Amino acid sequence: MNVDKTLLKIDRLGARVGGKQILDGLDLEIGAGEVHAIMGPNGSGKSTLAQVLAGREDYEVTSGSVTFQGRDLLAMAPEERARAGLFLGFQYPVEIPGVNNVYLLKAALNSKRKAAGEPEVDAYEFLALVKQKMKLMQISESFLTRGVNEGFSGGEKKRNEILQMLVLEPTLAILDETDSGLDIDALKIVSEGVNSLKDARRSVVLVTHYQRLLNYIVPDRVHVLSRGRIVKSGDASLALELERRGYDWVAGEKAA
Amino acid sequence: MSVAQRTSAGAQRSAALRSFEAQWLAREPDAILPLREQAMERMLRLGLPGARDESWRYTPLRQLGARSFVDAPPATDETIAPSASLSLLGVSERVATVLMVNGHPVLPGAIDLTIDGTDISSLKSLARTDPGLLTRFLAPLSDAEESRFDLLNTALFVDGLYVRVKARCATPIVILHLATADRADTVSYPRVIIEVAPGAHATLIEHHVRQGAYTPFCNSSSHLALRRGAALDHYRVFATDAESTHVDSLTVGQERDSVCRQFTIVLGGGLVRATLDARLSEPNASLENSSLLVGHEQRHVDCVNVVHHAAADTRSRQTARSIASGESRVIFNSKVVVDAGAVHAESQQSCRGLLLSPTAEIDSRPQLEIHADEVKCAHGASTGRLDADMLFYLLARGLDRETAQSLLIYAFLGEVLVAMTVPTARAAIETALITQLPNPDLFRSMR
Repeated sequence: MNVDKTLLKIDRLGARVGGKQILDGLDLEIGAGEVHAIMGPNGSGKSTLAQVLAGREDYEVTSGSVTFQGRDLLAMAPEERARAGLFLGFQYPVEIPGVNNVYLLKAALNSKRKAAGEPEVDAYEFLALVKQKMKLMQISESFLTRGVNEGFSGGEKKRNEILQMLVLEPTLAILDETDSGLDIDALKIVSEGVNSLKDARRSVVLVTHYQRLLNYIVPDRVHVLSRGRIVKSGDASLALELERRGYDWVAGEKAA
Repeated sequence: MSVAQRTSAGAQRSAALRSFEAQWLAREPDAILPLREQAMERMLRLGLPGARDESWRYTPLRQLGARSFVDAPPATDETIAPSASLSLLGVSERVATVLMVNGHPVLPGAIDLTIDGTDISSLKSLARTDPGLLTRFLAPLSDAEESRFDLLNTALFVDGLYVRVKARCATPIVILHLATADRADTVSYPRVIIEVAPGAHATLIEHHVRQGAYTPFCNSSSHLALRRGAALDHYRVFATDAESTHVDSLTVGQERDSVCRQFTIVLGGGLVRATLDARLSEPNASLENSSLLVGHEQRHVDCVNVVHHAAADTRSRQTARSIASGESRVIFNSKVVVDAGAVHAESQQSCRGLLLSPTAEIDSRPQLEIHADEVKCAHGASTGRLDADMLFYLLARGLDRETAQSLLIYAFLGEVLVAMTVPTARAAIETALITQLPNPDLFRSMR
């Protein structure tokens, strides 16, 4: 059986925000079942890439194309992308008082199921599923009655992102600095969550500043982003080398 | 010299005012004539509010002033029957419903009715049995300039309801105000007096609905009198149609240790002007007012609250949530006045507005007038659009735009909704609200 293993293909992508060019001819290909890490210094365009892929309107795509499961991703509305299996784990998850965590999760899951022609989830099964995933992410019961991220600490917000990911079971999860602000215990919990999702069909993109997370979630490929494009790619050892030598090394190598 | 003789020289009087005067001249005198006469005289002297009246600057009455009104018809068998389906809460054993058609109470069989230890009688019968009591209730609480429509109601109301809560009334009482007419340019003057005896408790819901070919101009007045230690949850819900004009004057008088929770909910009506004039006249009286104002299409909602702290240790809290879509306009003005003797008074005013279209407008203005020391008064107002980060977060989770917007609107109003103490009322108001959201199917799957 000859199946195209490419899940996401980014071709010469350029993007601008507020008149400033952030992404500038970025190429990236992610195969099904792969874990990629995108690293790079502050301001290199990592978060912009994540937001553009999720469909944030504030970013203007100036060139290039993105194909997701054979479809033109950039032509899809943010909600269509989500329903098609793309998940963005936000760097700064927003608090939405008055919108219940569980309601959001259920509405999100049902909209995905509806798009796939599946019936709505059974209320009891759904609650059981959420509770099971909550246990895995060590999220307290009070979560069930609270507003989305309302009053959560930084670490709780990140764990909630992973919880949502586990319930929605995306084909492609883009985790934007999910490791930032986490202590070592929370980092382990989050990593376990991500690892539990991994299988031959699902891919994960870890956008991160530090190598630390990659001790727990081992990437197949590591890319270094600088000035809006990928300047170096390698296997997991590249992350270790970056940790040792710093980003200047790559930038310097490129310049040389 | 009668009022008519003294004021007939006013040749520039608007058509509406002339028609009110004609109504006045045709009224049968009753036991409270002197009070009515006084009210009518003041009303005619003051005239309809105009552009120069600060409190009316957002709500011009030119159109209303050009119309000539006659009395809306009293209840008929036809208007009584279908009303159950119009009620916010339906008809169930858990609530007691009293119907008022164009201000005329429809009391079953006898004139008086007792619900759960609460006496309900018509104002006509009260005028006969105890005109002195009625007169005391009808005396205006504050500056007549601000309450012209209340004066007009006092002069012209034909009948109304007197509700006397004597003990703890566990059954919520719904006064279903039905506005209905078979011709244009009619007016009704519903009048309700609610007295809660010392230590007594009650929940009372005034629900304004309409049916039939035309909706009368409704000029309603309600007065809440809370005696010592009394507690009252009062709701006024406006749910009429785009063509209707409604001016509602609510006055509240509170004695020592009384607690009033007042909810003003505007879900419909072409032009709704709802005023609240509250006086905390004895120590430790407390008022919580929550307003939920929804403007859509070309609707106009104008709320004016004045809360008067006239004694020490009195507390008030006003929370308003306004949303405006289409070309609607929502105005919420609230004012807290703290008298010189009202030390340790505490007041809070929080007005938030949510604009859902570029052509809608919301004006919120909390004001404070403090004449005492050692008071704690806070106020805040803000108006904005839906938060882009919140919206994107919900979209990125796969929710469609209508659902995401609806959820955020609902969340915005949630603070007022959760304060509602009658679960059936809250559910009914929520349902009515949700039908106006971009996605009316919201929560269907959750129930």
